[in-house]
Amino acid sequence: MRYPKPVGRLSVPGGKVQLATAAILVATTVAACGGGDTQASAPKAPATIPELTKDPLTLSFIWFDWPPAHALEAFANAEYAKERPNVTIKVNTVPNANWHDAMFTQFAAHRTDFDIPILDSQHIGEAVTNGNILDITDFVKKNIDVKAYNPYLLAAYGQFPQAETGKRDENASMYGLPLLGDTWTMIYRKDLIGDKPPQTWDQMISVAEKCQADHPGVSGLAFHQANGSDAAAVTYNTVNGIYGGNLWDSKTRKIDGVLNDTAGHEAMDVLVNKMKPLTAKGSGNWFIDEVNAAVAQGKACIAFNWIAASGGLLDPKQSTLGTTREQILDKLGFATLPSQKTNLVPLGGMGMHVSAYSSKANQAEALNFMKWFEQADIQKKWAAAGGVPARTDALQSPEFLNAGPFNQVYADSVPRMRDMWNVPEYARLVDIENTNVNAALNGAKKPKDALDDIAKEQQSVLDSGSRKGGGGL
Amino acid sequence: MSDPTTLTTDHAVQVASATPPAPRRPRRLSDRGLAVAFISPALLLLLGMSVFPLLWALYLSFTDYSATRGGQAHFIWFENYTAILTSAQVHLRALTTLIYVVGAVTLQTVLGFAIAYLISRRTHGRGLLTTLFLVPMMLSPVVVGLFWRFMFDAQFGVINSMLGSLGLGQVEWLTQQRTALMSLIVVDTWQWTPFIMLIALAGLTAVPKYLYEAASIDRASEWFRFRTITLPLVWPLLLIAVLFRAIEAFRLFDLVYILTSGGPGVSTETLSFHVYKVAFLGFNTGTASAYGILMVLVVMVLTQLYLRYLNKLKED
Amino acid sequence: MAVSVDEAASTDPVRDHTPPARRLRGRGRGRSVLEVALLTVLAVVMLFPVLWMIETSIKENRDVYAVPAKFFDFKVTMGHFKDVFVAPGGGRSALSVAFLNSVVVAGVSTALATVLGVPAAWAYSRFAVKAKKDQLFFILSTRFMPPVVVVIPIFLMYRQVGLIDTKLGLILIYAAFNVPFTIWMMKGFVDEVPAEYEDAAMLDGYTRLQAFRRFTLPLLLPGIAATAVFALIFSWNEFVFAIFLTSSDSVRTAPPAIAGLIGGTTVDWGLVAAASVVFALPVLVFAYLVRKHLVAGVTLGAVRR
Repeated sequence: MRYPKPVGRLSVPGGKVQLATAAILVATTVAACGGGDTQASAPKAPATIPELTKDPLTLSFIWFDWPPAHALEAFANAEYAKERPNVTIKVNTVPNANWHDAMFTQFAAHRTDFDIPILDSQHIGEAVTNGNILDITDFVKKNIDVKAYNPYLLAAYGQFPQAETGKRDENASMYGLPLLGDTWTMIYRKDLIGDKPPQTWDQMISVAEKCQADHPGVSGLAFHQANGSDAAAVTYNTVNGIYGGNLWDSKTRKIDGVLNDTAGHEAMDVLVNKMKPLTAKGSGNWFIDEVNAAVAQGKACIAFNWIAASGGLLDPKQSTLGTTREQILDKLGFATLPSQKTNLVPLGGMGMHVSAYSSKANQAEALNFMKWFEQADIQKKWAAAGGVPARTDALQSPEFLNAGPFNQVYADSVPRMRDMWNVPEYARLVDIENTNVNAALNGAKKPKDALDDIAKEQQSVLDSGSRKGGGGL
Repeated sequence: MSDPTTLTTDHAVQVASATPPAPRRPRRLSDRGLAVAFISPALLLLLGMSVFPLLWALYLSFTDYSATRGGQAHFIWFENYTAILTSAQVHLRALTTLIYVVGAVTLQTVLGFAIAYLISRRTHGRGLLTTLFLVPMMLSPVVVGLFWRFMFDAQFGVINSMLGSLGLGQVEWLTQQRTALMSLIVVDTWQWTPFIMLIALAGLTAVPKYLYEAASIDRASEWFRFRTITLPLVWPLLLIAVLFRAIEAFRLFDLVYILTSGGPGVSTETLSFHVYKVAFLGFNTGTASAYGILMVLVVMVLTQLYLRYLNKLKED
Repeated sequence: MAVSVDEAASTDPVRDHTPPARRLRGRGRGRSVLEVALLTVLAVVMLFPVLWMIETSIKENRDVYAVPAKFFDFKVTMGHFKDVFVAPGGGRSALSVAFLNSVVVAGVSTALATVLGVPAAWAYSRFAVKAKKDQLFFILSTRFMPPVVVVIPIFLMYRQVGLIDTKLGLILIYAAFNVPFTIWMMKGFVDEVPAEYEDAAMLDGYTRLQAFRRFTLPLLLPGIAATAVFALIFSWNEFVFAIFLTSSDSVRTAPPAIAGLIGGTTVDWGLVAAASVVFALPVLVFAYLVRKHLVAGVTLGAVRR
């Protein structure tokens, strides 16, 4: 049933071929230009803060969406405005899973809608190597009282290159200052396992085992196992550290043979064969919020989570453990991690950095904000507002220690921290570790194979500098 | 616009009441001008937003360019392509994608057609039923993914809760290798069965009544009528629907991103998800471009083959 | 094709088998009941997640996590819906801004795709354009490119021209994805309108353009509406481009904003559900309004081929 159509001889002018040729030419030219205008290392920030503007100005941060981000925005707008009434603080938030991508796609675009990116400590290498954030070494020397900090915290959130556990190198360049300190806390049910937290990792496992057997419906353990962000990787790294393993040899850039040595394999065995059986069914994709939910619903004897993410546990609206904060605290205890061969704990938290692509006025304001933020009294106020400060005096202050039941845990954990590799290839390394640990935890890979695969694949990423093509596969 | 005959009468009325038209201009020239004026804006947009970026990606696919590291792009010609085609990691994702596409599209075609057939046999409430069935298709993959993730939750999820009250064991939907991929297929099927249904229904309701009437006078069996009247008329439409679904399923990204983020391990990572990781985790732009070009090639070849098959079918 | 089926029906070999046909009629009622039952079960299965979503959106968080799940016995709260629009401290929530962004982006990109696509579809249908098949295939194939692949060069292109993290950037890419769809879908509709109408009008002295505008276009309106709804739904729901090309609250559309509700420290599933309901509602209403055209649209485009 077709209708006849009027026929005329028509064609679209220009012709596809010509247009295509033109497009290729333009594409090649633009791409070639696009490649040429980047610098290889981080630009320097001035040592002294330039004159600040009196015009209204919005100072923007970027972070992932969690309570500390909202706390920071509220705190900074309330307090910083007292000194700089023309400045509004805005904390842009993105989904956690999208955090690295959101920052680095904007860095790649050479145009950022934020002035202060809040980078995970391991992101610094990538940002510095690409020239995305300012070198603030001179600024720090002139404006920040470095003696007021535990040197390791300054190193972790600002220094590059940075040794994984080492002391701060006074001569190394600085690219950031601490914003929020963090580590894992052990959350345990006082009403189920008693007031005294287990002291060693093995002890912790047997306590959890007994608790699970004694209380049907409650699982022994809850911890991060997801394959997104750095969830499963941090879990393995923590156990690895506690059982005396190493992530790599930073001097020789060797992972294969270091990560998967005897201690490394023992750690993987403990994690998969001793800890995983004590977790809830289907917990293989749990991260921060699922662990919190399990605790709040009374479904876990012992749980591990980031301190900065634990505040919600005390909210009676989200919890079935009690109708008031006090009732919940009668049941929940917070402790530093048990130790085994070592007492290492994972370093979390983030630093503040200055985007290389912000306007001069905003960069000046960002530096001023950082100087303001790192003062002793402001750090104490930040602690009272729910933040975790980095200055030693603030960490020891009653404002901080009384603000939450887990804050003492943080103060005690500071000397025990260990970070991951701080290299430009971080995102790839952590993805390899995440997916393989997650596979081992969920029975998709044998633990031994998973660890060997991690070591082999990570090594090939570190060694890929000389290889041509196929990077990132 | 349900019935062409009414259209014709409308038209006749319109013509009759129209004012005397202006004198005609030379027809050929105006036709040519019109075609150019009507087609070129759309083509220009496509050239700018689809072809140009694709050519750019083609150029980058021969280089070691990285969007964040910057610096000069070095030509490495086919190194990216050979690396991708020989990578065991890529083969693994290709297999996952294949299982997913075949599983999801088959399931939703069977289900979608079955629902459409059942609806077409009802005389009452057809419109309402259709509308209700269409709801999942209208939802954003984000909403669908988040919600199924909530329902699949091994502990608090409603699905395990229902299995529990039936006395069945709990299933780790999203964290076991086999069930995770199956869950993805289930969710995709839930969302896109309505699409097949809609198109199949369109075909079924368009089968002229008189054909059925003629057949029922002849006392043809149901199955015979279905096989000789219904199916041949709906078949071409159904195949188009399948093509659309297969191509969409082949490039699946968002559901994976939200539901499993590729886990457990990498067992639900599709090709699209892998491209994303190459492109945005390591910013290996050159490799990712080559990877993408290969995916586009696969899609184009499949589309071409399919359209050919479709044309042949129409001619028969 | 219709003719061949006619012939098949008239040369029906089953014609003489009267008894089986009778028996069929008796079985017919039982079968009808079975069919209705089957349809009901399928409808329940298909709609359950949606109902569960609505139910979760009005539950308090305690009940949301209840094991076993509470189906009826829970306290109703509208708190989650309030949270969708109002920020905890008062004022507009980030979600409501995202909804507004979605309205702008989806609306403008759909309009753009329609304005560009409909005339092109008409021209492809009416005129013998050179290499028409190739052009149409090319147009269709751009629609099928994987978004994750396209986003890489688009990202590089946008960074040159400053379109990253802008609504215009999203509008353009959505329009580019919808134009091929519009052209293909509309070409089917135009094919169905006899060219003779235009020819007759032109004999009456109208120009081709006038004939198109006065006679063809009004007949195409339902088809345009149906096509636009599909385009609108695509832009409204799109996630991949949105998450990679935008990042600030003032530009971000609803899908990435809703996805951002999980992955914090606690997941407020009630809020996720309420946001999803609010997000899905406009599309559902719109789709319902043109429901006749959704089905009829595809019918007209395809059955007479």
